[in-house]
Amino acid sequence: MSFLKPASARLLQLVFVLWAVVTILFFMFRLMPGNPMAAYIDPTFTVEQQEILMAQFGLDKPLWEQYFIYLGNLLQGELGDSFRYREPVAGRILSLLPNTLVLTFSSLIVAYAFGILAGAYLAWRRGSAVENIAIPLVLTTRAMPEFWLGMVLLAVFSFWLGWFPAGGTRGAGASYDSYFALYTSTEFLTHLALPALTLAIYSQGLPLLLMRSNMLDVMKDDFVTMARIKGLSNWTVIVRHAARNALLPVMTSFAIAVGYQLQGNVVVESVFSWPGLGRELVNAVSGSDYPLAQGAFLAIAVVVIAMNLVADLLYAFLDPRISHA
Amino acid sequence: MRSTYKMLAAGALIALTAASPALAGDPIRRIDILTRPQAVNPPEFQSAQLVAQEWRKLGLDVNVRAIPWEQITDVVWYNRETWDTGSWQMVGRPERSDPDEFIHNLFHSSTVEKGYNFIGYVNPEYDAVADAQRIEIDPEKRRELIFEAQEILARDEPNMMLAHSTVVLAYDKTVWDPASVVDQSGIGIRNTWTFNNITPLGDQKDIIVNSGTNLNMINPLRQSGAVDSWVVELLYDRLARVGPDGLPQPWAAESYEWVDDTTINVKLRSGMMWHDGVPLTAEDVKFTYDAAVSGEAPMYQPFASNVESIEIVDDTTLVFKLKQPSASFITSSFAKLNITPKHIWEPILEDLKTKPENAESYQEEMPVGSGPFKYVRWLSNEEVVLEAVPTHFQPPKAERFILRIVPNVEATLGMLRSGEINFLGDYPGDPQVLIDMAAEDGDLEIAQTIEMGFKYIAFNLRRAPFNDPAFRKALSRSVNRKLIVNAAYKGFAEESNSVISPALDYWRKPGLSDGFETGTDYAAKLLEDAGYELIDGRLHYPGDIKETITE
Repeated sequence: MSFLKPASARLLQLVFVLWAVVTILFFMFRLMPGNPMAAYIDPTFTVEQQEILMAQFGLDKPLWEQYFIYLGNLLQGELGDSFRYREPVAGRILSLLPNTLVLTFSSLIVAYAFGILAGAYLAWRRGSAVENIAIPLVLTTRAMPEFWLGMVLLAVFSFWLGWFPAGGTRGAGASYDSYFALYTSTEFLTHLALPALTLAIYSQGLPLLLMRSNMLDVMKDDFVTMARIKGLSNWTVIVRHAARNALLPVMTSFAIAVGYQLQGNVVVESVFSWPGLGRELVNAVSGSDYPLAQGAFLAIAVVVIAMNLVADLLYAFLDPRISHA
Repeated sequence: MRSTYKMLAAGALIALTAASPALAGDPIRRIDILTRPQAVNPPEFQSAQLVAQEWRKLGLDVNVRAIPWEQITDVVWYNRETWDTGSWQMVGRPERSDPDEFIHNLFHSSTVEKGYNFIGYVNPEYDAVADAQRIEIDPEKRRELIFEAQEILARDEPNMMLAHSTVVLAYDKTVWDPASVVDQSGIGIRNTWTFNNITPLGDQKDIIVNSGTNLNMINPLRQSGAVDSWVVELLYDRLARVGPDGLPQPWAAESYEWVDDTTINVKLRSGMMWHDGVPLTAEDVKFTYDAAVSGEAPMYQPFASNVESIEIVDDTTLVFKLKQPSASFITSSFAKLNITPKHIWEPILEDLKTKPENAESYQEEMPVGSGPFKYVRWLSNEEVVLEAVPTHFQPPKAERFILRIVPNVEATLGMLRSGEINFLGDYPGDPQVLIDMAAEDGDLEIAQTIEMGFKYIAFNLRRAPFNDPAFRKALSRSVNRKLIVNAAYKGFAEESNSVISPALDYWRKPGLSDGFETGTDYAAKLLEDAGYELIDGRLHYPGDIKETITE
């Protein structure tokens, strides 16, 4: 029961954080230079049309009134209609979110699987020539801009070798009955390979370095020395005793990394023409499509906040020494 | 103390009179040129830099301000009093083959306050000509008026015209028969004629085209974006279409005929069908025009508001009565409105009448048109798939039209080579890169077309000194347009001195470039003649004009 009380306090905090995010987003986009009418400017654009549009977008009302209308709608689960597409923001986000989540999770799983294994291995080989080469290499991949890395992978694997297609989630005109059918098709996987690899290369540094330093700490602990004294094999000591304990912080960092990854998606989705939320976000912001921009940022904020909560709770659950009391 | 002040004042007076001749005005304030950043539009930014460099030679303090397009429009369009000069462009569209849109809407005083005359050009003499060409049905006489309008603009230079750029596109000539690709005047090879006519040479029968920007909507009653119109134009028929030569020709109408200045007889093709199998009749045509003025489709209202009445004679015959004669009517109305299915949209419009939304925010699940291609599916931000309609009166030779959304320009080129796309429909990158790549590849055919649109520097005529035609002329003449064409556009453009592009041969006044003298000396002479003075390298207003605008 002592677990529930802090959880409910956390939930209250969450509501406050969400309100703050919503409010900041609302005013930020409206105070930014730019005008949603810009997209309609045309020699045949009449004064009446401008007024009709302003009224439809609710922009003819004072800012504070717009804000309360927005909050009221939000409480009822209404994100409003996109200025640009004239369709509900929620539906638009939901149709693009699966593509973004598949890209995010597949790249993170690859990055973490690789990072954990390589991190453990490098901790074991501490001080060796392998480490002298590997660590600078990892730091370099971490420092490479994603769009640049993406372009290099495109140039090599798509345009030069011709192994992978250059963009989208499927071949031109290919049709699938469901997201499931699409995501389990070979065609999708070949399209996913390069963007996921770009993100994976970019993100493997964090779990790798984290795993390595945790391992180094853990390997100094008494219970590892004990295990060695017992005469257990190197493999058993490292995998069964040291790695399991070093893994905890890495697993919680996974949850937080999901949030960071969503921001990386913005760039990678544009490089690989990936129809996800990140690209939509860029379009919405540059086109002053306030409802869509607010909705997309809110969706990302919700994922980040939720994953942070998961990380916190997971930590307390996995490691009883940590308590929220 | 008092004597010290007096001495100071006297000294200042002496210093002032010594420094400037008796009747010099204030120095001209710093002038901003608004432009998009280099990364977004390299030639536009380069042009602004070159123009600034030439203006500085005249003694002006010039600042190139690179800001995003959205901010430029916000200032230029919605804060009309607050800017000096800005880079702007008009793009080519089939319906702009009629000169009315550029000649009237850009410069007529009725659009000064909130319309496209954001530069604030007011000239009653020009208004009269612009109005007259609108109602002059005789093409020869109308052409004289269009020439006259261009002459007035050349004299007043309300804009500093820079260039008509070259549209450079490409396609895979091993997939498509080059003889079947249509180059539309002022538009380029990406047009409905090409997509209707393009003929496959082998097994690949799908036209796969790229676009850098997303589709917004597929809606026959809303003009929602450039890319949207590529799709809408294939899905829906119009009574007329602007032909490859820039002149309108019958399309869904078998024929149309002017009975008098305000009456047009229209004969529809027989046997036309909607994609859902319902026959298309004169009722649908009348419905289309009624819908445009119903208040539910404000964007199309201007193109149908001149219609007084439409009489249905039989299933394929109609009589249009206009309120007043309109020279551009066939292009701006017949070739503009998408014939919309009554059986589908009538109930939708009825329903919308009770709601705050209008037809422009309605997206059909499955758009139904009557055009040469029918709708198959649309995946947001990824692709649109259309399928050829073999029973159409102009059946496409290709099987499908697939529009892929590719925001990455470099990836677009790679895709064109790898066959992921086989028709380059949109290419904002460096044309030379594309041409070099095509030469290396061997399978790609390049098509270059002078654009109907144009690039220019807009002057804000509301603000001194831009209200002075002599000042504008001097600024314009200080820049050799060859410099713009060769340095900023790398040769992929033509010098411009009229809003009517060389692509519109019939309407463009010949000889406008004769005697278009440019150069710093010539411009400085113009300024001197108009009374502007150069003092200590800084240009001053003529006479005793004070600077009234502070930054």
